[in-house]
Amino acid sequence: MSQTVPENHVTVRTDPVAQEDALVAIDHLSLWYDQFQALRDVSLTVPKNQVTALIGASGCGKSTLLRSINRMNDLVPSVRVEGKIHYEGAELYDASVDAVEVRRRIGMVFQKPNPFPKTVYENVAFGPRLHGYKGNMDELVEKSLKGAALWDEVQDKLNQSGLGLSGGQQQRLCIARAMATEPDVILMDEPTSALDPIATDRIEQLIHEIKKDFTVIIVTHNMQQAGRVSDRTAFMHLGVLIEEGPTDQIFTNPQHEMTENYISGRFG
Amino acid sequence: MSVSILSDAERKRIEGKRRRGKAFVAVTAVPVVLALLLVATLFFDVITDTVSWQIVEPSQTTASWSFSEGFAWGNTWENVVTKELEARGEDPAAVLNNPEERRRFKLRNRVELLWSLNGQPLRYVVSNSRDDTVDNIGVFEGFNNQEALLANLRDGQELRLNPWLDFAFLSKNASRSPLMAGIGFAFIGSLWVIGLVILFSLPIGVGAAIYLEEYAPDNRFTRFIELNIRNLAGVPSIVYGILGLYAFVRLFNFEVTVISAALTLSLLILPVVIIASREAIKAVPPSLREASYGLGASKWQTVSRVVLPNAVAGITTGMILAVARAIGETAPLLVVGAAGFIPRAPSGPLSEYTVMPIQIYAWVGENDPEFANVASAGIVVLLTVLLVLFGAAFYLRRRFERSW
Repeated sequence: MSQTVPENHVTVRTDPVAQEDALVAIDHLSLWYDQFQALRDVSLTVPKNQVTALIGASGCGKSTLLRSINRMNDLVPSVRVEGKIHYEGAELYDASVDAVEVRRRIGMVFQKPNPFPKTVYENVAFGPRLHGYKGNMDELVEKSLKGAALWDEVQDKLNQSGLGLSGGQQQRLCIARAMATEPDVILMDEPTSALDPIATDRIEQLIHEIKKDFTVIIVTHNMQQAGRVSDRTAFMHLGVLIEEGPTDQIFTNPQHEMTENYISGRFG
Repeated sequence: MSVSILSDAERKRIEGKRRRGKAFVAVTAVPVVLALLLVATLFFDVITDTVSWQIVEPSQTTASWSFSEGFAWGNTWENVVTKELEARGEDPAAVLNNPEERRRFKLRNRVELLWSLNGQPLRYVVSNSRDDTVDNIGVFEGFNNQEALLANLRDGQELRLNPWLDFAFLSKNASRSPLMAGIGFAFIGSLWVIGLVILFSLPIGVGAAIYLEEYAPDNRFTRFIELNIRNLAGVPSIVYGILGLYAFVRLFNFEVTVISAALTLSLLILPVVIIASREAIKAVPPSLREASYGLGASKWQTVSRVVLPNAVAGITTGMILAVARAIGETAPLLVVGAAGFIPRAPSGPLSEYTVMPIQIYAWVGENDPEFANVASAGIVVLLTVLLVLFGAAFYLRRRFERSW
């Protein structure tokens, strides 16, 4: 069942994020792949040190929105963006801002674990090396692996290939790798969709733990997961941000009919 | 009879299918078997030709002349003898018209060109240090008729099995006498040429592949270039020879030197190197690039730290296969003027050269049937080098192959 969104839909916002808590503020963002408009005038404020979940049916633009935050969409040649993303006083799509710098501050974890075909150690050290990290690399690697709750499992295998780890370990390695560049925000694009329930559970616990140091934005297909890990949830449909608010509100008392239909499993 | 869960009609149909499948496999296997047979025949023929029976007799000539000077290399033995005898005031006709004398001189290894190895002028000598070859007989023919051959030996003659391909063959050089001929200079020449080919084509080829794959805008011009690179890979090699002759030998005035050969062969294999490198770069999964970009890597950092290290196996394999092609190329080098005989080993990019296939080609063109054995020995050396290269490519592929 597909539902159309009225042209002039206004995002329903429950308990909006206060200005002083905001870290990333997406401001009337629209995005096109060639002729196809993937995002329609999306505005969303992401609070610091909280987990924000983006939910919605396939093709609703939630991954696109996530990838616009660290300008990964720039890599697609046909992309055109209108609107702004404010981040700590800067505007990410300003001509003076380099996408490479944006990605240093805003890390990313992908749907499928994608460690480099290098050792566990080199995987984690990759980012810091890129940026000319001068401190003690061993300590940073250990800290990052501990942060990703992987240290105990891999401390004896630091010089073995990252590809030799299990799927869940690989994904935590990717999280450690993202953490090693010490970003402010970590974007997660369906990080558990390729993992089994136990590995998924570990990642979810991890997300809980890291939010004291990082701001997390997570795209998920799994509504229970959104309910479990996130503080705030944004529901998107056909490129439009339908509704956003505190997670418990969205799940127990959705204001918009489409949100309710989606959450109750009537479409999606 | 086994119990079947199928009806008779169904079983018949499946059996028919199975039969047709087998027939199809048989038909497709024919060319493979045929190819294997042909390759086996070729190897058998070439390898058996590297050994022959020789009837030899001790040298009859007592004279050991060291001809003074004045003979350009490449002179026939008649020229050399005539001129030398005239210079000594003797009548050359006495030697040249006497069948027995003729036979002795004509016997191979008699009039010999001494290679100038340390700057001395070239000179011809009549050597009497070796036995004379009277006849050269194929290896199987020799085995089959051994008794008759032994019975027909004249006084002092001997029947020997001569292995043309020995270690000395690698250090001997071009000679007008087959027993003195070896692949030494040609081998060194091939090393020089191939070394320079790698030096030229690897950076240019990989660079072009990186540009086309990672940086070039996807427009009509780029596609035109790509199409033409693919077309260039199919251009006959002699055409590259003509290009090399015009551009490198004449226009850049490199003349007939190692460097013009290397540049010509580099042009020849560049399309293959570019295509192979592009395929290797393309095979690096996008997820790894994304991971790199996601960590704040710039484009060049991603290319140099993620894409290239993961494409290196494919690039190396492609490069080795291309180089293997360059090692065996003859036609373009004939056009740019590679010599069949050179008096000294190539010592640098600007020296005269010959390469293995050219040397083999020169041997095949010789009148003397013993050169067929020499050519076979040369072919075996060339094929061995190629096999080693293919083995290296295979090993590298296995060693660095990644599974994602």
